[in-house]
Amino acid sequence: MDSGTKGRLKLAAIVTRYFKYSHAQHIVDRLLDGYGWQGSYHHPPMDVVSLYVDQVGPDDLSRERASRHPEMKIYPTIAEALTRGSSKLAVDGVVVVGEHGKYPRNEKGQTEYPRYQFFQQIVEVFRSSSRTVPVFNDKHLSWKWEWAKEMYDTSRSMQFPFMAGSSLPVTWRIPSLEMSLGADIQEALCVCYGGVDSYDFHGLETIQCMVERRRGGEVGVVWLEAYRGDRFWDALERGAWSRDLMNAALCRSHTLTPAKPGFNDIFPSVDEMRQMVRDPVAYVYQHADGLRCAMLLMNGLVRDFNFAARLRNQPRIFSTQMYLPMPDGRTTLADFFSPLVFHMEQMFLTGKAQYPVERTLLTTGLTAAGVESLYRNQARVETPHLAIHYQPRRESMFERA
Amino acid sequence: MLTRREFLESAALASLATPAKADQPLRIAMITTVYRYLSHGQHIGDRFLVGYPLNGAWHKPNVKMVSLYVDQRPEGDLSQARASEFGFTVYPTIAEALCCGGSKLACDAVLIVAEHGNYPRNDKGQILYPRYEFFEQCVEIFQRSGRAVPLYNDKHLSYSFEKARRMVATSKKLGFPMLAGSSLPVTWRLPDLDMPLGAEIEEALMVGVGGSDAMDFHGLEALQCMVERRKGGESGVKAVQLLEGNAVWEAGKHGVWSWDLLSSALSRSDTPLGLTLKDGRTQDLVGSGVLPSLVPHPAAYLIEYRDGLRASLLMLNGAVKDFNFAARLQGGRRISTQFLLTPEPNVTYSACLVSKIEQMFLTGRAPYPVERTLLTSGILEACLTSKVQDHRRLETPQLEVSYQPPVESQYSRM
Repeated sequence: MDSGTKGRLKLAAIVTRYFKYSHAQHIVDRLLDGYGWQGSYHHPPMDVVSLYVDQVGPDDLSRERASRHPEMKIYPTIAEALTRGSSKLAVDGVVVVGEHGKYPRNEKGQTEYPRYQFFQQIVEVFRSSSRTVPVFNDKHLSWKWEWAKEMYDTSRSMQFPFMAGSSLPVTWRIPSLEMSLGADIQEALCVCYGGVDSYDFHGLETIQCMVERRRGGEVGVVWLEAYRGDRFWDALERGAWSRDLMNAALCRSHTLTPAKPGFNDIFPSVDEMRQMVRDPVAYVYQHADGLRCAMLLMNGLVRDFNFAARLRNQPRIFSTQMYLPMPDGRTTLADFFSPLVFHMEQMFLTGKAQYPVERTLLTTGLTAAGVESLYRNQARVETPHLAIHYQPRRESMFERA
Repeated sequence: MLTRREFLESAALASLATPAKADQPLRIAMITTVYRYLSHGQHIGDRFLVGYPLNGAWHKPNVKMVSLYVDQRPEGDLSQARASEFGFTVYPTIAEALCCGGSKLACDAVLIVAEHGNYPRNDKGQILYPRYEFFEQCVEIFQRSGRAVPLYNDKHLSYSFEKARRMVATSKKLGFPMLAGSSLPVTWRLPDLDMPLGAEIEEALMVGVGGSDAMDFHGLEALQCMVERRKGGESGVKAVQLLEGNAVWEAGKHGVWSWDLLSSALSRSDTPLGLTLKDGRTQDLVGSGVLPSLVPHPAAYLIEYRDGLRASLLMLNGAVKDFNFAARLQGGRRISTQFLLTPEPNVTYSACLVSKIEQMFLTGRAPYPVERTLLTSGILEACLTSKVQDHRRLETPQLEVSYQPPVESQYSRM
């Protein structure tokens, strides 16, 4: 952590692209310009001093940001951003945002964001400098499981604090509920929206931040099976996941598409859902302790993330919405990035990851397994590599008073 | 607000109210100005027909809409379609709706939603929705039938405080439960927090947006549901003043309202405008000094309570698009929250309100006092009077409205 300088921490930001409403803009802007937090306007006590942008498009904002924040210099390589043009690591923390941009899409439909390559270049500087600093990696670690595992292993062997993942686990919940630590969860699911190899990851993190709190903690996942199209509806029919839980999750939505014209908020029948949701996707997966979970992408029916779980001996279904103030016309700021940025600040200040990166290692593996199952005609995928064990943090890390 | 005579009459006539029978569906008569897609009439009325999300389940109220009166049928009117689909009758008069075509009251509850529709405005900019007139016609049936039933009135009671006062006095006199007001007091809050009961509030501030006299009412009632929880409860308002334009910022400079609280309230907003619209950036609207340039027509509704509390509603169109509250408590502690208005078309915040209406219909007890809405109606009218009287400070002896808040928080949190 000691950079040899007194005072404010210095950060390097390594991003793919920087344009309006890109993840880089949401995250780096908050570090540069601050954000509303817990009832006042928070100015992070640290400076982004260097920036690397992999692709600069016509909509780029990084140059405008650098001109307004002269303390932030743009470098042509990741190594130079980390060393600030010198020969050794010259920052106290690294923020990696490898989301958005033009990158190859493989035959499985994965966008090959270069998070692993960025990470490798970062640890190369760590190695040549004989010093490490905390790293934050936005979203999943990599599209490729082996690379994600290597990133994780490297962070452990080099012993630097490493945080990653989605903002879903840390944003507001409506209602503001936490899963009790040690809860006896019988089944859990998330109804959400978005694409494969994209928002599916957010849905998986939504579920994982809840179920990791169950009795015994996390013990990993043994298989995953994807369902798409007609097979999704057949699976619903025969109870591959609980319709009660799905309905409970839908009752937390604020964006339920009205099934009948002239009505603004009406609960759909399954037949009506079939009409509205043209390309449903489910990832159903089983943890090593037997817990069954389902991540449901129901585009056309909802535009939010809703969680439901059945707990043993509790007649009432546990359910909540992980609330995303979404700047798609609903808001102007994606303020779910605020808790994410606050927690990464805390890691840079304390040198301690604020929640286990194993959560994101597991959801990275689940995302890849979901894509793999879809690619293999929705075959069940055994996941012995996802025998990931960890304990959740005791305190709730989601946003609340 | 009751005179001694009214109180005595109420004691004598309380037996007029008849609670609903336990197992039968509760019969609802709905009186509305218009029933068109996304009108208040539609999204409140429909919830009694098709249910609504409540505490993580789709709740189907044990009610039966038996009759409907619509005052206006503009293009897009849904009233007859709903009546056909759900098996009730649209009656040409309020009296017939309440009596289901008979000669006596034939329902267990009355739902008045007089918002939207084509009605004149007065010189204060108030839309003259006929809520008082609707209410009077309902009461006439109650009296004629020797029976009164719970009544909900959407939004403020009337554009006129005097009419609003009479409505509340009548409900007390005839002894029927009455609920009114906005959905803001009962919607979700971000963060989920309430004003501690008995708090010593030093100052409170609400930021709102939208037009008058629709959205300013929501801002005032959201403010009121917070400050009524202060030590001693509500004791009424001594004076109000409405400022507009540069006078709003000048008042802030002179400490008439607090920039600190404004900053705190705005820190809860998810919708800053200006440069955020241009390139997505976060903005400290107060700290940067940019706020006045974003708001061409600011308005400040300044409220002096009888116990000395000062509160303000700032309508800041151009700065943000959401409703946010902040207060400073004795000892310097600040609390702030956003009153979440969920998106169209679901507007699930109105489900939060309907659950309260249903609760009153079923139990015969209003979950929060109608006096809150009475006072808010009066504050709004007085502020709009100040507006047309050179923005002068107006003493408001008529607003000596005292009440105690509900002990339990009534906003959505489960």
